[in-house]
Amino acid sequence: MTQKVIKVKDNDVIGSTNEFFRQLLSSGKIQALLVPQNTPSKKVAFPVLISDPKKLHADIIAPILPASTAAMVSKMTKVQPPAKPIGVVMRSCQIRALIELVKLNQANLINIVIIGVDCPGTFPLNTYAEFPEKKTPTHFLLEAWVKKSDDAEKYFRSVCRMCKDPIPTNADIILGFYGTDFEKEIIVEAHSDVGKEILKDLPLEDEKEGKSREKAVKEIRDEKTKKRALFLKEKEGIKGIDKVAEFFDKCVNCHNCRQACPICYCKECLFDSSVFDAEAYKFLRRAEVKGLFKMPNDALLFQLGRMNHMILSCVECGLCEQACPNNIPLMEVFIPAAENAQKEFDYHPGKDRTEKVPMIVYREDEFLEVGEK
Amino acid sequence: MTKKSETIGAIAVVGGGITGVQAALDLADMGYKVYVLEKSPTIGGVMAQLDKTFPTNDCSMCILSPKLVDCARHQNIEILTNVVVEGIEGNPGNFTVKVLKKPRFIDLEKCTSCGSCEAVCPVSLPNAFEYGLVKRKAIYKPFPQAIPNAYVIDKEGDGKHRGCVDCMRCVKECKSGAINHEQKPEHLLFHVGAVIIAAGSPPFDPVVKPEFGYKKYKNVLTSVEFERVLSASGPTQGKILRPSDQKHPIKVAWVHCVGSRDASVNHDYCSAMCCMYTAKEAVIAKEHASDIEPTVFYIDVRSYGKDFDKYINRAKKEQGLRYVRSRISEITEDPKTRDLRIKYEDDKGEFKEETYNLVVLSVGLCGAGERHSELMDTLGFDVNEFNYVRTSADDPVVIKPGIFVAGSFLEPQAIPESVMQASAAAANAAALLKDSRGTLVTEKKYPAEKDVSAQKPRIGVFLCHCGINIGGYVDVPAVVEYVKSLEDVAFVESNIYTCSEDTQKKIVDAIKKHDLNRILIAACTPRTHEPLFQKSLRDAGLNPYLLEMTNIREQCSWVHMDEPAKATEKAKQLIAMTVAKTRFLQPIQEAEIPVLQKALVIGGGIAGMTAALSLADQGYETVLVEKEKRLGGYLHKVYYTVDGIDIPRLLKEITEKVSKHPLIKVHTSSQVKTLKGYVGSYESDIQTPTGMIPFSHGVIVVTVGADEYTPHTYHYGKDPRVLTQSELEKVLSESTKEDIVDGETFVMIQCVECRDEKRPYCSRICCMQAVKNALKIKELNPRSEVFVLYRDLMTYGFKERFYKDAREKGVMFLQYDPEKKPELESKNGLVVKVHEPMLGEYLKIPADHLILSTGLQPNLDNPAIGKLLKVPVNDDGFFLEAHVKLRPVDFSTRGVFVAGNCHVPKFINESIYQAQAAAARAATILCKPTLKAEPNVAFVDEDLCSGCSICISVCPYNAIERVEEKKDGKTVIHAKINEGLCQGCGTCVSACPSSAIQQRGFKDKQILPMIEEMTEKKLVSYLKES
Repeated sequence: MTQKVIKVKDNDVIGSTNEFFRQLLSSGKIQALLVPQNTPSKKVAFPVLISDPKKLHADIIAPILPASTAAMVSKMTKVQPPAKPIGVVMRSCQIRALIELVKLNQANLINIVIIGVDCPGTFPLNTYAEFPEKKTPTHFLLEAWVKKSDDAEKYFRSVCRMCKDPIPTNADIILGFYGTDFEKEIIVEAHSDVGKEILKDLPLEDEKEGKSREKAVKEIRDEKTKKRALFLKEKEGIKGIDKVAEFFDKCVNCHNCRQACPICYCKECLFDSSVFDAEAYKFLRRAEVKGLFKMPNDALLFQLGRMNHMILSCVECGLCEQACPNNIPLMEVFIPAAENAQKEFDYHPGKDRTEKVPMIVYREDEFLEVGEK
Repeated sequence: MTKKSETIGAIAVVGGGITGVQAALDLADMGYKVYVLEKSPTIGGVMAQLDKTFPTNDCSMCILSPKLVDCARHQNIEILTNVVVEGIEGNPGNFTVKVLKKPRFIDLEKCTSCGSCEAVCPVSLPNAFEYGLVKRKAIYKPFPQAIPNAYVIDKEGDGKHRGCVDCMRCVKECKSGAINHEQKPEHLLFHVGAVIIAAGSPPFDPVVKPEFGYKKYKNVLTSVEFERVLSASGPTQGKILRPSDQKHPIKVAWVHCVGSRDASVNHDYCSAMCCMYTAKEAVIAKEHASDIEPTVFYIDVRSYGKDFDKYINRAKKEQGLRYVRSRISEITEDPKTRDLRIKYEDDKGEFKEETYNLVVLSVGLCGAGERHSELMDTLGFDVNEFNYVRTSADDPVVIKPGIFVAGSFLEPQAIPESVMQASAAAANAAALLKDSRGTLVTEKKYPAEKDVSAQKPRIGVFLCHCGINIGGYVDVPAVVEYVKSLEDVAFVESNIYTCSEDTQKKIVDAIKKHDLNRILIAACTPRTHEPLFQKSLRDAGLNPYLLEMTNIREQCSWVHMDEPAKATEKAKQLIAMTVAKTRFLQPIQEAEIPVLQKALVIGGGIAGMTAALSLADQGYETVLVEKEKRLGGYLHKVYYTVDGIDIPRLLKEITEKVSKHPLIKVHTSSQVKTLKGYVGSYESDIQTPTGMIPFSHGVIVVTVGADEYTPHTYHYGKDPRVLTQSELEKVLSESTKEDIVDGETFVMIQCVECRDEKRPYCSRICCMQAVKNALKIKELNPRSEVFVLYRDLMTYGFKERFYKDAREKGVMFLQYDPEKKPELESKNGLVVKVHEPMLGEYLKIPADHLILSTGLQPNLDNPAIGKLLKVPVNDDGFFLEAHVKLRPVDFSTRGVFVAGNCHVPKFINESIYQAQAAAARAATILCKPTLKAEPNVAFVDEDLCSGCSICISVCPYNAIERVEEKKDGKTVIHAKINEGLCQGCGTCVSACPSSAIQQRGFKDKQILPMIEEMTEKKLVSYLKES
């Protein structure tokens, strides 16, 4: 690992990172950069694919994840990867999602340079758009972060508060904010040969001591893990068909959650097909069972079907929850379900490209019947 | 198709065990008529009696039964049971086999195996299939999966017990009139071109060794009896109980080598499979009841086969098998507890006594000439000193021209070797009879198929009473009335036996008369009966896949005998479910895959040359590709053998035969560079010294061999006195008497750098190499000294006699513990230090030569070759066959076969018969210009497929690939299933997250209506009840 720093001029964190990105683009080592940039209305920051350094006014701290960056990389690379390197700026959850998509042959990392950014957390899309404080969300967040205050905590999406791991893994380059006074210096680490090659000629300064970064990373990881453990304990009661049905009561079967999920990759969802259409008498027959039958008929089945398909690869980005128009706190069932299912298969989504998805792995001692051992 | 030829295109296979069945299936698939002549009332042999098989712990019957069913169903196979071969006359290509057919007293055409006769039979006698551990009736079926699936009457009894008493109650009871007490023996003649003897060999009867107490003490069982105890269908339903008091034993001992390696009964041979089945029995016993404490008394643990060592190690480590190295002297019984006391001398020479609740004697096999000498005498075969038939090691399955042998009739051995020899014998027979292939087989002509795909379903439902099997518990007339009410059902009928010949005529007539276009049979299992009913559909002009079956016997009446009302209700539901599917059945056309009738053999050692010759002799053009400059492979490093093969002559002769054969083209210094296609039509590019040569072929045989492992220890390579076994062999082959002086000392160390963590396999051949070279040294100068330091001496089968010979000639065999490996001290000359357990001390042996047995290592190219051919390589680097027991030369990828050392290290004779076996299996594909594809294949909806490739990872047959295509100017990626390779297992269908794969005959729109029918109806009735 090579560690360097970006010197921040005039406490302008965002400006300095943009300067770094412009240098990167101008160096010719990458031909374009996918990076979050505020829309002209400033109500939302969306990833933009930028090839002209002059057009770059990115905001990599903008506490918002409007849509899955991993899914965008999938779209760009699935059919054919780029001929020359493209840099993609991603948060840790999205890199994890991308690794899953690569395993599932839905994305290709050829000529994709992953630039991971330390993530303190993101706000729900509407909170960001209608931010009640006087400052911009980015400035508010940076200030709170520097002060180490929990001012921003109340605005974070709940899933970000107990993030599985806010520090990027599997990135070629990492921009580090933990363990540095980022108003003066931002850490730049190369984690691959590609990363090293790219940083080699950029005008960056060498990092003097790396210990504080290590310590801060451990601290934030521990803190988030603790919060996640508490959450798991708190939510362990949502069990059994009645509780689960109650949980999804508000579901209107709009499938937004599926649309937002970075991993969901079927071309046509079974739940959009005609499989669940049936003759009226069949509906009636179902009604006869209890004298009544809740409609839409396949909403709960859809939720359970989606969970069944996605849970082993769930990277806990919470985009499904953010997409729900009726504010169903989906992560309250997805995080516990993911935790249990992934433990059962000793599977770690997004951790390692070579780890095979459980679906294709056969273990002799997998799910033994009671009494077999 | 009739062809004029001088040979007869039929083969008699004597013996219907797994060996005979395999030989019959191979030959029948190649287009020969086969008569299986079986002495007992059923085929299946000993394998049918086994509980599990090592080293995979597969259920023996579960893997055997499909083969038996295939054999029974095969158009070209005729099975004759209760027959004795009385003589074989004639010449190769034209034999007459004289057979005495004993009466079965049952008409096979009529018996439906319903079992009502058995219920009324008053005679009870020991059940031979269960080794007398339980009783059976005089009218009986040997075991539920018996083939022919019919009863038999035992008129003779077993000497002590009387058989049938002619009370005729069974005759009255039998509704199909199948019993005929007046049947007489018949003499039959079969005209065949070749004969394969696969008559097996019986287990040793330990009664002749009174010290083991067998038959004297109730709690001493033989290992074959214990197989039945373990079996879920056996006398104790798989509960481990000891015979004296039906109590569960805790301390169980197995005693190795009972009747094997024993001069006192003229069994100076090793029975080759007992070490492994003992470990398996102990492991399975432990799985059944974890409180069992298993102890194994052994001399050597002969774990010489593929993955055997790993199995033994796991058994020791995970199942806690305790191994005690000792030949036991006596077993006595405590008359009070009926426990058994075993006296033995341990490896330190101390006498000990231990008490066990149950003792299992691991019995070996007896030569066929010893126990049923009538067959050997009748046939006049040459026998060896152990009463086994004698063949030449370089032509291992040939008894004499036209008469071949396979299985344990030849030598005690386990199932894979038997199966390979069966296929090898088939290859030899096929080569002899190549001109009459296809002359005696007939293909049935059917009327043209009506196109009913667009018609509204008109379902015909045929219900079976199966005598009283279904009718006795399920109210069939009530079910008939119910089924009439179901939508789309146009015709319903019930019959006493739906499978009987006259019912088939009724089915055909009903289809025509009522214009039925979908058929549902509610009876027993499709496994045995589907082909029969499919034929009836074809006779009536319907596509055979417009048939659906539902099992209202095994899955209904049999399991609900005590609740007939519920059984009737369930039968209705099962049929309603199946009607829901039948409605959506569509005709399936069986695809024909073209076959280029040519073969590619990769690797030109003894296995490759043998495979090429066998294929060419059967009439198939073959290209043999060898990487090195000359043919021969590892054979160039072998100079002599103990079993009489003149290696240089063999090498010269076979190389010449291969080079001169008009149908073989040899490319040396060549390699297969690229390979495209699949079974039936491969295209290879072969890099030869003169350029790239393309070759199109239908099958591939991989025989790339292995080489001696080069050691890194014991100063090898630094001290010229340290050699490997094959280097020593070369030196000895060039030595004369004068070259070895009196007292010259050779120390051989076995298992050098193998059977350890890094190379955790036994190379099978090295112990024999050591024995062979030791004998050679002693032959050159009897006053020389040879020490062999070994772990377990793997001289299995008849090789044991050479081990004994070596001991008698003064070769010193010292066993060492792998934890205390021999050490080399070479300050002043070579001194080998080894721990001697008897003395409990280290011995120091000054040596003139140190010889290292390092075994073979797989070809380093194997992974690359595996990738090219889409076939797997195991952890040790050897090729991994489709199934270690029953498909030892096939890969799961159809059309690719394996033989020789690249499969696992083996002896020359073993490579030869395995290569012939591979040729036979390949010929089952090459024999016809087209190959029938599996009808129920899977197919991809390209618009739904995301190309995630999960299906590719889970496909066991490598039948799926990910393809990139241009569609409307856009690149699209999707999975593509090769219909020639797909076996219709359905794994991909269930794995596909996008429902983009469907399987013919099992489409979602056929299965979902069944589930809907079942869940909703059941739910409704359940909720209404409660």
